[in-house]
Formats: sequence, C-alpha cells, structure tokens
Amino acid sequence: MSTTITDLPNQTQANDLNNLKPEKSDLGLIRPDHSKNVFVDWLTTVDHKKIGIMYGAMALFFLLVGGLEALIIRTQLAVPENDFISAQRYNQLFTMHGTTMIFLAIMPLNAAFFNFLVPLQIGARDVAFPRINAFSLWSFVAGALVINFGWALQALEAFGLFTAKGPTAGMNDFVPAMGWFGYAPITDKEFTGAGTDFWIMGLQILGVASLSASFNFIVTIINMRAPGLKMMRLPVFTWMTLIVSLLIIFAFPAITIALAQLMFDRVFGTNFFSVAGGGQPILWQHLFWIFGHPEVYILVLPAMGIVSEVLPTFSKKPLFGYSIVVFSGAVIGFLGFAVWSHHMFTTGLGKIATAAFSLLTMAIAVPTGVKIFNWVGTLWGGRIRFQAPMIFALGFVWMFMMGGFSGIMHSSAPADAQQQDSYFVIAHFHYVAIGGILLAIISGIYYWLPKMIGKMWQGSLNIWVAILTVVGLNITFFPMHFLGLLGMPRRTHTYLAGFGWETYNMVCTIGSYILGLGVLLLVVDIVRCFRSKEAAGNDPWDARTLEWATTSPPQVYNFAQTPVVNARDALWADKYGPEERKLGSVDESHGIHMPSQSWMPLVASCGFIPLGLGLSLMQAGVPFSGYAAILGLVIITVGVALWALEGPGGYHLHPQKKA
Amino acid sequence: MNKFKDFCVFSAGLWALLLVSGCNLNTRMSTFTAKGPVAETQLDLFMLTLWVTAFIFLAVGGVYVYVVIRFRDKKDSTDAIPSQGHGNPLVELSLIGVSIFLLVIIAIPTLKGIWYTHDTPSDEASLLGSWYTNGPLSEESANEPFIIRAIGYRWWWEFEYPQLGISTANEMVMPAGRPIHIELRSVDVIHSFWLPKIAGKVDLIPGRSNSMWIQAGDSYEAWLAKNDFQGSEVDAQSAYNNYLENDIYDYYYGQCAEYCGDSHARMLFRAHVVKDEEFYAWVNKQKAGHKAPDNMEWDEWYDAYDNAPETLTGDVNEGLKLFMGRAKCATCHVVGGNPRAVGVAGPNLTNLADRHSIAAGWLNHRNEDNSIDSKQQFNNFVQWIKETDVVKPGNLMWKAKGAGIGELDPLLNDEEINQISHYLQSLK
Repeated sequence: MSTTITDLPNQTQANDLNNLKPEKSDLGLIRPDHSKNVFVDWLTTVDHKKIGIMYGAMALFFLLVGGLEALIIRTQLAVPENDFISAQRYNQLFTMHGTTMIFLAIMPLNAAFFNFLVPLQIGARDVAFPRINAFSLWSFVAGALVINFGWALQALEAFGLFTAKGPTAGMNDFVPAMGWFGYAPITDKEFTGAGTDFWIMGLQILGVASLSASFNFIVTIINMRAPGLKMMRLPVFTWMTLIVSLLIIFAFPAITIALAQLMFDRVFGTNFFSVAGGGQPILWQHLFWIFGHPEVYILVLPAMGIVSEVLPTFSKKPLFGYSIVVFSGAVIGFLGFAVWSHHMFTTGLGKIATAAFSLLTMAIAVPTGVKIFNWVGTLWGGRIRFQAPMIFALGFVWMFMMGGFSGIMHSSAPADAQQQDSYFVIAHFHYVAIGGILLAIISGIYYWLPKMIGKMWQGSLNIWVAILTVVGLNITFFPMHFLGLLGMPRRTHTYLAGFGWETYNMVCTIGSYILGLGVLLLVVDIVRCFRSKEAAGNDPWDARTLEWATTSPPQVYNFAQTPVVNARDALWADKYGPEERKLGSVDESHGIHMPSQSWMPLVASCGFIPLGLGLSLMQAGVPFSGYAAILGLVIITVGVALWALEGPGGYHLHPQKKA
Repeated sequence: MNKFKDFCVFSAGLWALLLVSGCNLNTRMSTFTAKGPVAETQLDLFMLTLWVTAFIFLAVGGVYVYVVIRFRDKKDSTDAIPSQGHGNPLVELSLIGVSIFLLVIIAIPTLKGIWYTHDTPSDEASLLGSWYTNGPLSEESANEPFIIRAIGYRWWWEFEYPQLGISTANEMVMPAGRPIHIELRSVDVIHSFWLPKIAGKVDLIPGRSNSMWIQAGDSYEAWLAKNDFQGSEVDAQSAYNNYLENDIYDYYYGQCAEYCGDSHARMLFRAHVVKDEEFYAWVNKQKAGHKAPDNMEWDEWYDAYDNAPETLTGDVNEGLKLFMGRAKCATCHVVGGNPRAVGVAGPNLTNLADRHSIAAGWLNHRNEDNSIDSKQQFNNFVQWIKETDVVKPGNLMWKAKGAGIGELDPLLNDEEINQISHYLQSLK
C-alpha cells in the first residue's frame, strides 16, 4: 500500500505543533487558536471532525430523550383506558417524540457523519466554510434548546409557579401539542398555547442550521475534491450527502415560509391559516408536505449512503451498479418533490390530483427498488463477513424493504383512505425510520467510530444490540399493521376495551422496551469503545474509500499530503489494484494551510436563544420578553458583523516527522 | 456465526408467533370485514397490494437470504479476493422493467378505485326520491342523493339530515343499501370521518366543503348482479332481505381520525344501519320531539315553571327545571319539542335516551342484543355530568368562559345530578 499521504512531507521549516502561538484577528483580538483550554478549544473549533463529534454526541442524547418519550407513550397505551399520563401530556409527548427524533436526533446524526466523513472521503483539509460549519452546529443547539424549553415552563406550571398571561392567557400548554406536522388551524392561538410558539421558533432556528450546513457541503463537495476525484468516483455516501444538501436547500424554504406565516398569524394577527379571517388551513398542509416529503428522503438517503459503503467493504466487492445507485438517489430526490400530496389523500384533493399523486408515489418505488436490487447484487459473489457494521447493514436492507412494502400499499389512494392516520401508518414509517434509518446509523457508528476515535470495539455486545433492536422493532411495529387495519387511529391517548386492540397494544409495549434496551446497550458499547485500549489502526475493516487511508483518529489536517485519486474505490485500488490506479500525493512541502478558530459563530448562534425564547414567552405574557427577542437580533447582527470583520485568518502547519 | 444463526431462528419464531396471533380480523372497526361497496373497493385494493408485495417479498427476500448464506465468508476458504464485478446493465434494466410491470398491476385498479369511490352515484335508483316513501320531499331533494351532513366539533359529531329537516348527534341512523352523500364540515379544527367497515376516511376541514359517499351493504340491483341469482323475483327479494338481515343491519363503530386536540381519543361515533321502515320510524320520532313531563303541553308546563315551579314535582320535573334553570343546559342544547331548549353550541339531545352511548361514544350502555342497559345508562349520565372534564378533558361543557357546568357556583350536587339524569333518561 502506498503510504505517501500519511507520511509527512519533508518540511522546509518544521514547527512544533505543541507550541504554536495564536495571531491577532483584523479586529485586533487574539484568535482562539491553539488553546490549551479544552472548553475554549471545542467551543471555538472549526475542525469538521470535532464539529461532527459534537453533532453526534448531542444527537445521541436527543435520541435517548425521544426514545424515553416513546416509552412513556407506549406505557400509557399498554392497557385500555389507562390513566398513567393525562391527555395533554400524552399529546405533548407524541408531538415532541416526532419533532425530537426527526429534527434533533436523525438529522443531526446524519450531520455528524456528513461533517466527519465528507472532507475525509474527498481528501480535503476541511469543509469550504469552516466557521459557517461551527455556526450550523451552535444554531442547532440553540434551536434544540428553544424547542425543549417548554418542558421547564410546564414543570413550573405543574407546581403552580407559572401561568400563561397575555395573548395566550388561560392556555397552559407550554410544550408543543399539535403533532409534529402541526396542522393548521389547531396551531392557532385559539386552540394551543405558547408551546406552539416554542415549536415555531425552534424549527425556524433549526432550519437556519440545516440550510447553512447544506450550502457548506454542496460547495465543499463540488470544489474541494482531491485531484483526480471525479464526480463519478465519489464514494456513494458523499454523493448522498450532496443530494441531501440539495434537497434541504430546496425543501426548507417551504417550511420557512409556512412557519413565518404561522408566526405572523399568532403574533401579529394575520390571516394566512385562520378560517375566521378568510385563511386556508389546507395551505399549511401543502407547504408543510412540500417540505415534509423531501424531508423523508433527507432522513433516509444518508442511511442508504452508509449502507452503500458498508456492504461493499464487508463483501469485498465494489458496489454493484454504482452509477445506477447514484442516479436512483438523484431520481428519488427529484421525485421526492412531486409526491407531497400522498400525505393528503384524505383531504379531498379531487380525482385528478389524487390519481396523479398516487401514480407518482408508485413511481418512486422504482428507484428505491433499484437500490435494493443493487445491494443484493453487491453481496452476490462476494465474501460476506458478519462483522458488527455488516450485521446492521444487512438488517437495514431487510427492514427497509418491509417499510417499502407498506409504502406501496399507501400509494393506492383508495386503500390509503383506510390506512391514513391509523396505526398502519405508524408501522410503515417506523419500519423506515428505525428498521431503515436507525439500523443504518448504528451500522455507520460501528463502521466509523474506530476511525473517529482511533480505538477498536471490544467484545461481542454488538450481537446483543443487533438482536434486541431488530427483534424489538419487529415486536413493536409489526402488530401495529394489524392495529391500524383493525381501526385504531393514531394520536389517541387512550382507547376503549372491546375493539380487539388490547393484545396488540400490550405486545407493542413489550417490544418497545426490548428496543429501548437495545439502544441502551448500544450506548454502553460506545462507552466501552471509548475506554478500549486496542488501537484501531488506519484501516481496520479492509475498506475501500479514502477516509481509511489516513490515521485513526485523523490528524487535525486530515492528510499529511493531499492524495491524488486514480480510481473509484480509491483505497481498494491502492491496496489491490494495478500500479496506475494507486494513490498519488500532491507535494506540500510548503506547509499545510489551516483555518483559524473563532468565537463569532458561537456568539451569533447564541443570539437565536433570546430571539426564540423571547418571542415565545411574549405569547405567554412574560414581561420584557419582547425586548429579549430584540436583544437576540442585536446579538446575531453584531456576531455576524464581527465575524465578517475579523478576517478569515488561518495559519500554516509544518508538522515534524516523528523520529 | 452461531450467534447469528440463533438470532435468525429466534426472530423467525417470533414472527411466526405474531402472524398466528393476528387471527381475529372481525372486530368492531376492522377494515377486513367490509360492509359496503366503498369499503369493499378499498379492501380489494389493499389485498391486491398485499399480494403483489408478498410476491416481491418472497422473490427478493428469497434471493437475499440465499445470497447472504451462499456467499458468507467460509472459514476454510482461501483469502482470495472475489471478482470485482461492478454491475450489469441488462440485469438492471430487466429488474426495472419487472418493477414497473408490477406497479402497473396495482395502478390500473387504483385509478378505477379512485374514480369509483370519489363520486356519489347519481343514477336514477340512487336518488332520494326514488326510494324515500315516508312523506313528501321537495323537488330538489327528490332529485339528489340522500344527504347527511356530518359536522365536527371538539369533541363530538353533529349529524344533520337537511332534506328531512332533522338533526342528531354522535349516533347516526341510516338505511341499508342506499348510497349516502356525506357533507363534511368542521366548526373548529380538522377532524376526519372514519367508519372503517363502511368507508375509509375523509377529513372535515374548516372553511372547506369536503364530501364523501358511503353505503352499507349492496343495493338490491348490485346484489342481484353480484350473486347471479336465479329464481323468481319474490325469492330474490327474500334472499336479499336475508343478506341485509344477517350481514348488514348492525351497529357500526366510527371515530375521528385526525388529531384535534386534548380529547381526540374520545371523539367516537356510531352508525345504526337499519331497515327502511325502522329508519322512517326514527325520522318521524326525531321530527316529533318530546312533550313536557307528565304528558303536559309545553305552554302549560312553562306556565307552571314561570309562575309556580313548586307545583312541578318528581325527579323528571326537577331535572327539567334544573336543565332549563340553574344548570343552564338549554343554553347549548336542543331538545326537540321544547320551545326554549334551542341552544346550538352542544349536541342535539332529542331522543337522547334511545342512543346506545353518550359523550361521543365514550360512555356506553348497549347490550349485546342491541337493547339499552338502563342502569348503566343512568350511571353514564351521572358520571358525565359529574366529571365532564375527566371523561373529556378540555371540553366546553365543563369550562366555557363562565357558561360551563364546571363554572357553576356551587357545583351541581349529587341530588341535582341524579335529577337531571332522570330527566335525560326520559328523553325517548
């Protein structure tokens, strides 16, 4: 194997990496580079690897929060007419479960992989805009905080220490309780309290985070590929990142507008969705799903990307039909914008629209099916090694297929009239979300964590994680198909006995505990990996793509010398391919240019917190909160201005060869 | 490796268990026991998608399992790198072709189903005038299909029969074998009308005029065509009546299927599907309304109520006095016949005691044989009035800016609640 890209070049002026001194920015302030203080270092970091790890850690936390919410929901539904929690609390929990899992767990878990892997897979030093990357991370944190802030108020309310005044006087629901797609007009201030405002502001802020990250990745992938890494040589995961980023920048404006209109309705009394003023509630559904359906693919395409990396590695074969897999990903992304109304088959669209969206929804099954065929094709004739990442990837294909089948059933609009808003739908999208996305993400964690932290997994706990998650998810969600077809509507906090739903619900609840235990064991296994003594080495899985060519964990500069790529599976070709396909390297004896760290992305993002909380609390009649919102805007403006004025900075590293 | 095998066997066992445990598909809201042409069309399409996907599942799943087992890394194999083949356009194209073919199998009946389930039949035999024989109809009504207007409130249902001039709540009554055009309206947030055995759902969206059609059981003509019946007209009629008697006349369960706030889970409804004669009798009874207690005329009763209320005695009279007075029930409820009970914010209570449930289907008093358990009915009235906010959290009857019974000062005491319940039980 060629080692040129991990070997340090002969530096003309080697510097001691431990004793670098920070420079002053254009504003005359000392840049927070090379800080020995861990907190300063991580808070101001622009390193895509650290940002990715922080995304991952926070997303895992929210995955556990969302999971806990789900377990409370399932406990309430275990037996009929249960009063474990109140109707209001149940409604808040299912709303926050959906919102948390989609926006605070899966999307940032995907973002964690994007951040950590994309620059490594394309042989770059970092993303195109490192400070925007940090801004995305901290905006995500601000949004998550704003959305979840209602829990604190709700706790105060429960102890009688806080009640809503002002515009939402008398409405003491401070945690959102209108479902994760917030159908108007239940989001009107006539029907829901300040919880809805936290939800609006939180999602709006998360949108900023997602959009800025997406622009960053698009520019990075298009512009910063290593020499020779043509688009059709990109690893599939990077391809999927590119497609997802494009989906985000086209899909998020729709929800941004919808949320702004809703906020105007609630705060300033406009009439976009309120019927009394001549508004149209159905408008919300169109805007939401024009965002919401691409969002489904925003969640699932990265999972497909992960599996398209893992399956080839562990069958020692290239991905079958690479170009068709990439193309079908693009087709899915494109068609994803043309099927939104299949979420609305029961809203009275009329025959023609129903027929059109029915057929388009069937059409989207084709590129999805193509991916399944190609994964099977990849396995065909390979040498399949059942190591942890592979077990989850194989589980993904199987479970995702199940979710796909119920998707085909929904596409037939008349059949969907019975399935819509029933537990059948819950079964469908959890097979996709857990059986598909979560299993792929776990596969990705098992695959790439050794690269991220440089340590190797210990023991065989992973088998138990696999058994418990796969078995748990099937016991939880398979019976829900029957529940739905036997008439149980979703989002009901309780149900009467005698409808034939009791046994199924009890089984579902038991299954959810099994699944929960599986996820908990995953966390234990991750902790054990962090405490592992065994070094992972550069390439523990005999993998195929560029990220495995560098050290584990990668140095801050990723590659000592920028690689020159001569094949699709660059590392595989380097290890086993002919001479002309092996990796080359760019001579970088002049040093490695690194971006400077900065406080400004953090400062600007922090402004979102008083902005979001202030506007929401104003709705609950908290005095002076409107001023807090203005203060937030000021902080954002000042933060961005200083960010612009401080200059990009940057410094050169001249790492020394180890003796 | 062994652990992986164990894991496969374990999951397969659980799956088998689940499939076996899913046997009873004939439950109250089961979509598998379709009782009308709309639900049947929807069930047929579901079964079609089920068979097509089951076929794909077996084909793709079979290949998948074979590949995973066949190409596993064997301990004794050499370390040779497998052939690095990376695709075959012919295989890809043929698989795409097969996929499209399978989808077309679903698509064509789907399109037919969309058209069939969308438009209310408007042929001669489907018009109200062609079968309704219970009194005169306006010319316009006679030339329309039978219309029921379902109006969603948080969290109950109003069922208006605009052509017949009557209205009821939470338990609709409908004839068998006749197409019914349901107009769907909402006064607050989005609800969804779902009567699974008879039709899939359509939403009630405020500010939007949605509609759907439903029909319990086949019409006589459709039934004849379907069963290819040989024999005399009389035999056919009686066989059709048997079919309705055995399969269709029933008490059907429905529920709101779009999340509508706190008590969404408790917004249920019922549909009595009955013989034409029974339907007519119900319509007439609903139109007639109620006389005052003790068979008094209302003028007479109100004369006493206004001038000498102490002369009105007994639980029913006491209940009605509370209903009209301290408890303020009449502010929101209509009771047919009673000239002063004309509030429209709450459910119409005409013939309330004939209904088999109250509180939008949450509190039930129906016996297996479709009779009413009057002891349970009384208890349900008491429970509902006493703890409206527990039975249905967020409900307007409990708190409505000063007009709710939860805002009375003092609250209704047990004796008063019993009296009102006695009065309500007299509404039949």
